[in-house]
Parts: sequence; structure tokens; C-alpha cells
Amino acid sequence: MLSNRITYAQLLETNNLMQTCSDETYWLCVTRTVQESKLFPVPAYMMLSYLMAFYRYPPLLRKIEGRMSAEEIGDRMRNMGMKCANPAMGWALPGFYLLGREWLINMGLLKPTDAIEDVVYVMDFWKRFQLSWHRNDGHITNKEFGHRAQILPEARIQVFHADMYDCVEGDELHEAAQSFMASASQYGFLISCESRISLCNTGPYKLGDNVEMMVRDFMDLSESDFPWLDDVAADVPYNNITVTMAVKDCHFYLVDDWGSFEARPEFKSDKLIGVGLYTSDNLSEGYIPLGMDSREALIAKFRELDAKVREATTKLWRRIAGWSRDQMIDAGAITYFAIIKDLAHIAGVYEVDDWMKIDERAERFRPLLNDEFSRDALGELVGYVSHPSQKVMEYTMAQHSNAPVRMYSNIPYSVLAGEPYTASSGPVYPGVTYLPAKKDAYTTTRGRMTLAEYNRLSQEFTPAVLHPKYRHLCDTWVKYHAGTPLADELYHLEQARSRRLKGKGSGLKRADIAALRGEG
Amino acid sequence: MAQLYVDRDKYGDQALSATVEAFHSAIKDIVRQRLAASGGDWGAFVFDRSYDLITADDMRAVETMLLDAGHRFDWSAAISPRERPAAYKPAQGVSEDDIATFSFEHPEAKTAEPDAQGRELRGIGDNVAQYPENCIGIARYIRSPALVLKYLEEGVPPDTIAIIDDSGGTLTAPILEQFKGVICAGGSTRSHLGILTREYGVPCLMNARISGIRQGDTVEIEVTAKAKTAEAYQQGIEMTANVWRLKRA
Repeated sequence: MLSNRITYAQLLETNNLMQTCSDETYWLCVTRTVQESKLFPVPAYMMLSYLMAFYRYPPLLRKIEGRMSAEEIGDRMRNMGMKCANPAMGWALPGFYLLGREWLINMGLLKPTDAIEDVVYVMDFWKRFQLSWHRNDGHITNKEFGHRAQILPEARIQVFHADMYDCVEGDELHEAAQSFMASASQYGFLISCESRISLCNTGPYKLGDNVEMMVRDFMDLSESDFPWLDDVAADVPYNNITVTMAVKDCHFYLVDDWGSFEARPEFKSDKLIGVGLYTSDNLSEGYIPLGMDSREALIAKFRELDAKVREATTKLWRRIAGWSRDQMIDAGAITYFAIIKDLAHIAGVYEVDDWMKIDERAERFRPLLNDEFSRDALGELVGYVSHPSQKVMEYTMAQHSNAPVRMYSNIPYSVLAGEPYTASSGPVYPGVTYLPAKKDAYTTTRGRMTLAEYNRLSQEFTPAVLHPKYRHLCDTWVKYHAGTPLADELYHLEQARSRRLKGKGSGLKRADIAALRGEG
Repeated sequence: MAQLYVDRDKYGDQALSATVEAFHSAIKDIVRQRLAASGGDWGAFVFDRSYDLITADDMRAVETMLLDAGHRFDWSAAISPRERPAAYKPAQGVSEDDIATFSFEHPEAKTAEPDAQGRELRGIGDNVAQYPENCIGIARYIRSPALVLKYLEEGVPPDTIAIIDDSGGTLTAPILEQFKGVICAGGSTRSHLGILTREYGVPCLMNARISGIRQGDTVEIEVTAKAKTAEAYQQGIEMTANVWRLKRA
């Protein structure tokens, strides 16, 4: 009974946001994946990660917002391909936290009336981050947009569009790009212990009558946050790699909140007609082109990265194959829990003990996590939605399943009428890990550095497009001010490294970009 | 004994899984006991005293209770029965010793006598991507990291059609591209293994329901069939591709 700050309006909104997440999580889990692996004990680490999220997200998010608001981080994320730009982070932030809460309720260790200031805060942080990140498309999630993710402003889309190199199936560029993307996808699954959170797709963006662009990000590829990439990934030169893809005669009708897509007709390699390659992070001025000076340089860059990623895959697989089950669980649980870690990097408050350790309160439950219990408890939590706490009155028809269930328990409004409640699960407690200590080496766009240096630079740096002068100059403003000196300044920032658009300013439309490319 | 908030639940009764229900019931008993012993003040218990009063040893005891009753757990990751063989059901098909006699036996496997071309139907699966020709190769089961490591060291034998029951993308990560084809007895065409085989251009059937295929059999997978779409899964439309045995090992 620590607070009288929670209002009815806040609870109404919090329960609404939780229900939104509940509905979509069910759809994603039932239609988009099957969680299994002969290598990793996947359900075991997922269940552990949910408890870690429950205990640690609230204090860690508060620590992050002590330096930078959720809205500003969302603004910065539109300008780069770090993991926060993975739609899966936007899904996982509330999802993992709430799944931990739900599991604890079913073990009798929590009431729906517990930690309600935490719950309200986590959902509010999520809302502000999502709305800011999705500022250009005006939605809170891809789901709300009918499963679409149009994150980027025109100035950036034009650069991606203008600078892509054409390719056709069978040519050297097409082959090099396809081979790299297959290798990087494989590597991404391994880095992330079988989850897909090291890669994602956003878009589509309409490049022409029958051409769409998808932006594919590969994240956390190099020696940086994860201890298991120390040394084995030292030769991967970029931590985040973005591939822009122009696709013909194929409509991406679904881009979900895990960053995966569906296309009609099916997206096969023969549909890929253009590619570009970039790197970025919170220390870069947006996207830095890689090998984009010439077609030959781009082919060479794709091949170079392909070879490095393949080598790292083999080294990493050998390392993982020698792990104990506890080490596998640690790596997987940390991968999941730390899906939001880049929020701390961007704010410059990242600490290894915050993100790469299992909170001792969560660690207590490890002995439960044999394969069978973990599989069944997880399946009931997100697939069957059959834990007792998830059952609601029989008249209910849940979205998608029509069953009388709700994945995440509401906060009872009775707390406003005197029912006892608790405010918070408390601060970050000490953590433990079976993995080796993290090497103090972080790969950034400004080179490899110590964490202290990385945090310092993160605190000092503001990308030019985020300076107060430009931050709120959105596409709606550009619509009415194109061609003015200020609009041109804004576009020049994005165009600074563009092969075709450098200095062109804000007056170009899509057809002008196509003409510059020699199309139509 | 103290009563918990969740003890009075108008709609929820118990978990679907007997294992989950057994574990959760046992944990709730422990919580009731410790809450009562600590004076019954939930506000002081939930985010403070319970951190010391509910321990890893308690959780270990919960699992021991089931093992002592004779229960043995299903396993999914090869490391689990390897580290604790006494806690899990026996693992089969994970070593070279027993792989020669191992086979996936799906109760819904579609089988038929040899057709005019001598192809004996041994099952069906969901085609990941359509190819101009069917894929013919030698069936080899891959169910453990040890076997992947062997192939990583020695190279994957030519014409291998890997038979896997792991729809993930990590077990076979360093050798996947070397397979001629894949038959996966799990997942869907949207699973990680489906995504990766499509990216690499390796013919693959997911969600395969097969029977009687042994190590070294020559098999043909019908990857000329239409790829199973997301709509087909969502609408329950049957779109399958055949798995034939051409020759026994």
C-alpha cells in the first residue's frame, strides 16, 4: 500500500495495453512458430527469462529513463538497425514481463494485485516507446497497422531507394547477397540460441507499381554484449548489418511483431531485384553504407561478410556443443531477457551485471526447468492459455480462439476501492551465471572499445537528425515545407553519404528517385 | 495453513498438463506453509521475505517428488538426458550404436505398396519450397550434436537426406548447406529450419509423418509439390508432399 498515484484512467489504459498484447501473443505463438530444438533446452530458458524480466525490467527501465526518455529512444531507433529496431523487442518488452507475472501467479507466488506500479510503468514505457518508434506510420504495433511496419521517414527511404543496386537471379550480386543473407540468418539463430531475435524485417515500402522494399536487419553479430561471442566473433567487423531489398511482383501482405513476413505470391529469390548494404548503431550518424560505392565493391563486401559469418558460425557452434545444460539455459535466458538491452546502450547506462546475469530471485526456479515441465508450462502459458489464472467467465470469446481465456491477468480495479495491493517487486538483485565472464570489448561503428568508453560516448552523442532543431520535423511538416532551407538541411543530413542523392534536398518525389536510377 | 489468493478461483481449476499441475500444486503448498510460518502478512512476504523463504532447494524437492514416484520426463534437448539419464525417458537414435535400427514411427504416416515405378510410400510432409525435380538421396538420421560434430569433422556423406525431428535452426547449423534434402518430423514450413532450408535452396519437407525409413535407405521426397502456405495452415487446408522409399539399406 505504498502509493495513491495510480488512477482509474491509468488502470483502464494498462489493462487495455495488456489485453492488446495478450491477443497478439496468442496469434503469434499459435500461427508463427514451434519452439523446439535438439541443441538448446528452449522452453526451459524461455521460462527462466520470463522470471528475469518480471523481476528486473521495472528497475532497469527506470534506470534507463533516468538518462533518456522512452520517447527519445524511440526517435533514435528510427535512425538505425540496433536490436531495439526489431519489432520483436516491442513485443517482448511487455510480453516477457507479463508472462513472468502470469507464471508466478499460477505458482501462488503473486497476486494480480501485486507490483501494480511496476505493471503500470512497464506498460506505459512500452506505449511511449512504441508510439515514438512507429511515429511515421501512426500505430502502436505492427498488428494495429494490419501487420505492417513503415517506420522510416521519406528522407531515409529515398536514400535506400536511390542507392540500391539492381540484381537478377543468377548474377553475381544476387548470388552474393542471397548467400550472405542465408549465412547471416543461420548465424543469427545460433547467436540467439534458436530464437529469431537477431534478425528481423520491416516494411514494406512502395517503390513502384509492382515493386516493394523490405529492410532486413541482422543484429548483435560481433564481439559485443554476449559473452559467448567473445573471440569467436572477433572477425565479424560489424555488430549490426542492414540489407535493403527491392522485390518485384510479390506483395508483403503481413509483417508481424516478430519481424517476420508473408508474401503473395511467395517471396522466392527470383523476386529479388535490388539490394543495398549498411551498418549502424547508436554512435553512428544513421546508416553507414557498406561497399555501396560500386557494384563490384558491394559484391566483394557481401562475399567478405559471408565468409566471416560462416567462420564465426562454425566456431560458435563448436563452443555451444561443449556447453553444459546450465550454460545453454543461461545463454538462452539472457538472450531473451536482454532483447531490450540496447535501450540501456542508447541511454549510455549499460552494465554487464544488469543484463548478462540471472537475477537470484529467478535463479531459485531453475531446478523446476526440466524439458517436460518447461515444455508443458510454456505451452499452457502461450498456446493453450490454460493455466488457472488465464481462465475467465464462460461467456467470454477471446480474440482468435473464441475460448473463455485471457493470457495476461488484468489488474483488478478493486485496488481503487481499498483492496490491498503492493507497488513494486523491488530493485535489481544480484545475479549469477554459469557462463564465462564477459570480455571488456564492444564492437561499434567507431571501432572496438571498452564498456566504459562505449557508455561515455553514448551519453555524449546525439545524432544530428535528433538535435532539437530537427527532431520534430516529421513527414507531415515536410509535406508543407519541402524546398525550404530547413527542410533541405534535414534531407541533406540523410543524404550526406548517398551515392545518388548527396545534396539533392527535400524536393524530390518517388518518381524523381526512379528517374535518377534510370527507371521508367 | 495460510490460504492463497489463487485458492479461490471461480473459473480456473487446474493446469492441463499433469506434470505442471503436480509441480504448481506442490509449490503452492510450500508457499502456504512459508507464508503461515512468516506470520501471514502477504505484503511483507511477497517481495521481501519470500525471497529467502522460497528457495532453489524447495524447487529441487518438487522435482524429486515426481521422480521418486517413478515419473521420468520427456526430453527435447539432447543435453538433458545426457546429463541426467535417470531423470529422463531413454533417448533413442542419438548415437551411432542404435541409429542403425532406429526409425521415426508416426501413427498417422501414410503408407502404400510400391507403385509402378517401385516407389513405396512411407509418409507425407509439408513442402517448404517448390523445385522442378524431386529430390532423391540417402536417409540419415540426425538427432544429436555428437553426430553433427562428426559430420562437421568428416564432412557430410554425399547425397544425404537428413531426417531430423528438430524444427530449429541451430542443431545442424554448420552442416545444413551440405544436405541434399531434409525431412523434418516436426514444425511447419514457417519454422526456423524451414526458413533456413528455403534460404539455402535445400529441398525440405516439414511436419513429416513417416514410418519405417531406416538409416541408409534410398528415399525420394516430392518437392515438386506446391509449397504449403501460411493460409493453408490457418485454414486447415491439406497440402502435402510424399516421401517414398526407393531401396532399403
